[in-house]
Amino acid sequence: MFLEIKDLSVKIENKNILKSLNLNINKGEVHAIMGPNGSGKSTLANVLAGKEDYEILNGRINFKDNDLFDLNIEERAQEGMFLAFQYPVEIPGVNITPFLYSAINSKRKRMNEEEIDNLSFAKLLKSKASDLGINIDMLKRSVNTGFSGGEKKRYEILQMSILNPDLAILDETDSGLDIDALKIVTDGVNKLKTKDNSFLIITHYQKLLDYIKPDYVHVMVNGSIVKSGGSEIAAEIEKDGFQKFQ
Amino acid sequence: MNIQDNYLKNKKNIFFSENKDIQTHREKLINIFENDGFDKKNNESLKNINQKNFIDFKYRYLISEETSVINNNQENNYSIVSVNGQCSSFKDDKIEITKILDEDYNDFSKNDTIENNDHFVNLNSLFLNSGFKIVIKKNNNIKIKISNIITDDDLTIFQKNNYICEEGSSLNLIEEYENKNNSTSNILNVIKLEKNSQLNHFLIQDNSPNHNLIITSHSSCKKDSTYTQKVYNFSEGYVRNFHYSELIGANSEADLQGIFFLKDNNTSNNKTFVKHLAEDCKSNQVYKGILNDSSKATYFSNTHVDQVAQKTEGYQLSKGILLSDNASYFSKPELKIYADDVKCSHGSTIGPIDENAIFYLRSRGMSKIAATKILISSFINEELSSIDNEQMSEIIQKKLVRYLSKVK
Ligand SMILES: Nc1ncnc2c1ncn2[C@@H]1O[C@H](COP(=O)(O)OP(=O)(O)OP(=O)(O)O)[C@@H](O)[C@H]1O
Ligand SMILES: [Mg+2]
Repeated sequence: MFLEIKDLSVKIENKNILKSLNLNINKGEVHAIMGPNGSGKSTLANVLAGKEDYEILNGRINFKDNDLFDLNIEERAQEGMFLAFQYPVEIPGVNITPFLYSAINSKRKRMNEEEIDNLSFAKLLKSKASDLGINIDMLKRSVNTGFSGGEKKRYEILQMSILNPDLAILDETDSGLDIDALKIVTDGVNKLKTKDNSFLIITHYQKLLDYIKPDYVHVMVNGSIVKSGGSEIAAEIEKDGFQKFQ
Repeated sequence: MNIQDNYLKNKKNIFFSENKDIQTHREKLINIFENDGFDKKNNESLKNINQKNFIDFKYRYLISEETSVINNNQENNYSIVSVNGQCSSFKDDKIEITKILDEDYNDFSKNDTIENNDHFVNLNSLFLNSGFKIVIKKNNNIKIKISNIITDDDLTIFQKNNYICEEGSSLNLIEEYENKNNSTSNILNVIKLEKNSQLNHFLIQDNSPNHNLIITSHSSCKKDSTYTQKVYNFSEGYVRNFHYSELIGANSEADLQGIFFLKDNNTSNNKTFVKHLAEDCKSNQVYKGILNDSSKATYFSNTHVDQVAQKTEGYQLSKGILLSDNASYFSKPELKIYADDVKCSHGSTIGPIDENAIFYLRSRGMSKIAATKILISSFINEELSSIDNEQMSEIIQKKLVRYLSKVK
């Protein structure tokens, strides 16, 4: 199994958020999670990425033959996990280009691959940026600082394309994107997709799933996955909301 | 030993002790110490320091045999090695360097911007044993680098320097304080900017743990002049930076900035004070600190706008990153405005490093320590990238790397 989440229960500040959650993702699969506000979708994404504010009450997670809890945040990233944030963090004074350069090389180092040199990296970055309709000038700016909502989301996907993860978690990447940007970004995702990598896509809208075809759709309510199935579930939700799942 | 005995015992070694006026002034100062005629609790000059160590000190001074070198290796470029606070005399058509005179002392002692409850300034006046005066002549544009060297352990340097930038002159001044011995320097810089002159003043402070540096400056700016001061404090020993500016001519400007990097048990006290006494003037007071381990810092900033000082722009900012739960940074901005057409603001943000930013960077594969370091560098990125002198920029970068190498 590529990613296996078993019986996961998580709390934060005395509040139980995830409750006995189970989810399995195989290599090459695209999974979507839909669920009402506050149901715990971002919490799941953050726990997978290793955010330390949460208390793990129960359960285990396996990722590529590792016990995920044995890996710290950066080790998970270096092993090929990537989280596109719902709310990307603004970091004034940290320039995008050297930051991504050091990120990609720390991953290569762990994988015992040769480091990419500055010049090849600059080329790679430029070409990926232009694929995503990102202005070269934006690459001179500080991480997310002063970016519009849509620019931040595009920039998350740029980072994803550069780091080329095995498991990409997209937390509401579609929200904030205009219709053209949605097309560009989903094209970017589809280009990256191979039979060896997997996607976990968190969204509120069926629209995104028209562009990125999921193999499975899960409904998350109140910290658990209450229903799993195919794309038809997204259509059901789009029509009737979450009422009947609660 | 009490102050008076200490003074009397070393009198022959102290500047101007034969001058009647100066004697009278010093007797007054001694009285302040003896009678404790000041409010100890609210005295900014006494925060976080062991008062006894500074007042109950052993006076020791040596006149160095080595002559201080002035080296005009390139046109308009001077480098000075000041030894134990002294500098030999020099004169050409652009600058003139001399000893300080009685009149320079008197001139300063009449100034009331630095309150007379500043113990360290009073000690400086009392035990004055060194110093020099540099005049930049009219319409010249020059660069000076001063290395401040102390030759022996247990020296107490009480130094007063006068800088005069004559009309239309421009001075780029880099001062280095990098002392490794167990000594104390108490320095007062009195800086005068005449009309339409400019001074860019950099102070690089990087002393070892047992060296104390107390540095105070008083600058006054006439019409259309600009004083810019940038302090980089990497010292492992105690440093006090108290800097005062008076904007006395219209359209003049004072920019007082500092960055300090503290670790272990070190302490740094900082203060800036700008008095707006003319219209259309601008001031900036910005201090940033990075504090690790159990280090402590204070920063008092103060903008005073006189009623004639219309169209004043005054800005104050203090920022700090606390890298440890045991570090502390106390900052207090103050504004006193007596004119009605002014733009003044102040802000202060002090706290631990942004955990969300750390998480974000780590989630891309960067180690925790690398993420911490990159965030520290970014905190002062603006200040570092604005250094337009390549050599300076390299020096500061090197010291920053050294500081960061100790961050765990
Ligand atoms: N630091 C925190 N302290 C207290 N409660 C928290 C904290 N972080 C998250 N929560 C709570 O956990 C619950 C789940 O939040 P989460 O962000 O995972 O929801 P979500 O499903 O992503 O919602 P949305 O669709 O609005 O993005 C919410 O009720 C939220 O208020
Ligand atoms: Mg969410």
